[in-house]
Amino acid sequence: MSNFRINTDRLLEVDLHNEKVMAISGAMVGYMGTMKFEKSLLGGEGLFGALKRKVTNEGLSLMQTTGNGTVFFAHNAAEITVIPLVNEKLFIESSSLLAYDDSLKTNTTFAGLRGATSGQGLFTTTIEGYGNLAVFSHGNLITLEVDPKYPLFVDPDAFIGYKGNISQEFVFDVNWRNMIGEASGESYQFKFTGQGVVYIQPAER
Amino acid sequence: MPRYQQINEKLMEVSLNGEAVFAKKGAMISYQGNVVFRRSFLAGNGVQDFAMRVLTSEGYALMVAEGTGTVYYGYNGFFVSIIQVVNETVFVESDTLLAFDARLRTGTMFLGNQGGVQGILRGAVSGQGLFTTTLQGTGEIAILSDGNAIGLPVTPQQPVFVDPDAYIAHKGELSSNIVTDLNWKNLIGQASGESYQVKFTGQGTVYIQASER
Amino acid sequence: MTSYNPNTLPKNDNLSRFAFVVDVEEEIFIRKGKMVAFYGQLQFESLGSSVVDILIKEAFNAPAYIQHFIIAKGHGQLILGDNGNDIASYDLDNANMTIKAKHLLGFTKDIVCQESTMIGFLTLMGTGKILASSNGPVHFLDLPCRVDEQAILGWADCPSPSYRYDYAHVNDLLSLVGVMTGITLSGEEKQIDFRGEGTVLIQSSELALGSPTLGHLLSQLPALGRNELNSLSAAVAQQITSQNR
Repeated sequence: MSNFRINTDRLLEVDLHNEKVMAISGAMVGYMGTMKFEKSLLGGEGLFGALKRKVTNEGLSLMQTTGNGTVFFAHNAAEITVIPLVNEKLFIESSSLLAYDDSLKTNTTFAGLRGATSGQGLFTTTIEGYGNLAVFSHGNLITLEVDPKYPLFVDPDAFIGYKGNISQEFVFDVNWRNMIGEASGESYQFKFTGQGVVYIQPAER
Repeated sequence: MPRYQQINEKLMEVSLNGEAVFAKKGAMISYQGNVVFRRSFLAGNGVQDFAMRVLTSEGYALMVAEGTGTVYYGYNGFFVSIIQVVNETVFVESDTLLAFDARLRTGTMFLGNQGGVQGILRGAVSGQGLFTTTLQGTGEIAILSDGNAIGLPVTPQQPVFVDPDAYIAHKGELSSNIVTDLNWKNLIGQASGESYQVKFTGQGTVYIQASER
Repeated sequence: MTSYNPNTLPKNDNLSRFAFVVDVEEEIFIRKGKMVAFYGQLQFESLGSSVVDILIKEAFNAPAYIQHFIIAKGHGQLILGDNGNDIASYDLDNANMTIKAKHLLGFTKDIVCQESTMIGFLTLMGTGKILASSNGPVHFLDLPCRVDEQAILGWADCPSPSYRYDYAHVNDLLSLVGVMTGITLSGEEKQIDFRGEGTVLIQSSELALGSPTLGHLLSQLPALGRNELNSLSAAVAQQITSQNR
């Protein structure tokens, strides 16, 4: 597992010793040492994964960085958080993914109907295994627990990802009367039930 | 002498006691005391400055604040950093220079002068102006960045490579050149998105921002 | 990294610089679209629906802004965010405070909200809590001071300010025309003058950019192919037609 560090909230530093890290294309802002950047042709998912991505249009343009030294990644001055995965599976909006260890495997999962109204893809990205993952958020990432005793409701635009034994459903606020046709209201939410954590950003996309 | 003080990541203040401070047009947030403002261009004379004025027209016009009091500066929510300059030269993209004063000698440098063809290429690649402001001597300047500015030290043993779009300034005895990362994948249109980098060698500091502009 | 649940969330306090938790027990006015998550049993009512009309007549006296606010009621913890802007809360104790309307995120129901004489600002009076966002942390200035309009977040305990033109740098024909037609060239010719006693709240200045939704859409465009762009273009045209109706 390579070392992921956050420098002043908005810069990710990754130390590589002949290792490989995946990051979204264009996110490299600097490096020291010897580094090589290549477009990841298959996104680490094999030929079938790449084809599925193409069909589902869950756009994820990745590059792989290999070498010796320290590489710096950043994206649009967004806050960055490192989430270590210990043989776990995380569901994530691919538009929030910044970088991850090559030891982690990504895949695409059908996420239900929610995408139709939030403007995000119908398919969501899963990432699993043992290694580090860096996500970016507008404002620092917030981690909220979900428990059978307390389900959680989240604005679709603020949703970034979740892990654990959680089920996600789409709820429409029936009290919402006069707002139909208004784009920016809280007229629908995600409801998370089960046991696990949900990651959100304090912002609307 | 003018006193520069950081208020928060997006605001700074300059205390004046009869001196003048030059700042980016539109960056004055507030002032207290007896301060007058007038417009100016980058200080200095010569053919290059003249050329710059013609080429950049109003774009890099400055506001001079003069008097006794406190002036607050900030710009469109960009982050503000104060850089200490100690008997050295700072190179700053004119667009990101927030404030400076007469303690430093200013000039403009046509990048072609410094790095030859490479310098021009850098201007073309990053989409930033071909002119860079130089400030020389001992004093302070304030710069703007999208996300916080981060200073990366460069030593003869440890060159630093930066994305042209993330570069904002550098100081010290540094030379820069473009390195390209060409391999067969780039040639068939599968670029990694990082085809050009600027390599800084020598002794000094390179400032980058946490954004690719 | 800390994770939170209903028992560990702060009560009526900041969760981080950019997020605030409201412990909802009674009705509170909240800016539309700023809810990022909640626990518990909460309902959101739009203003103007009959149930809350009586409450509005008492508290919300700014008809031009009424469509930007909703009422949250029920019991639970409501997390608010404003696009990565800093959020701060202000306690009013039989006092008044004026806030730039688009930065007002919420206020408790015993506060009266009225339009300020300065266009684009709302004045809040009474006793309770106000939530406001700012571009970067808020900085407090004592009077007298002159402030760029784009950098004002609000003011408290002082008389309404006035515009002031600084003719010292209205030094050419172009800027004179600008002043006469109300179009300022750099913003520095036209300032807002605060006199007397009180406090001014300032933030980093800001450009009036499009909505975050627009920014998000535009950022996704490079990923689209020619056919997709054509169908997007058709969809946009259709949407415009239906909105014009």
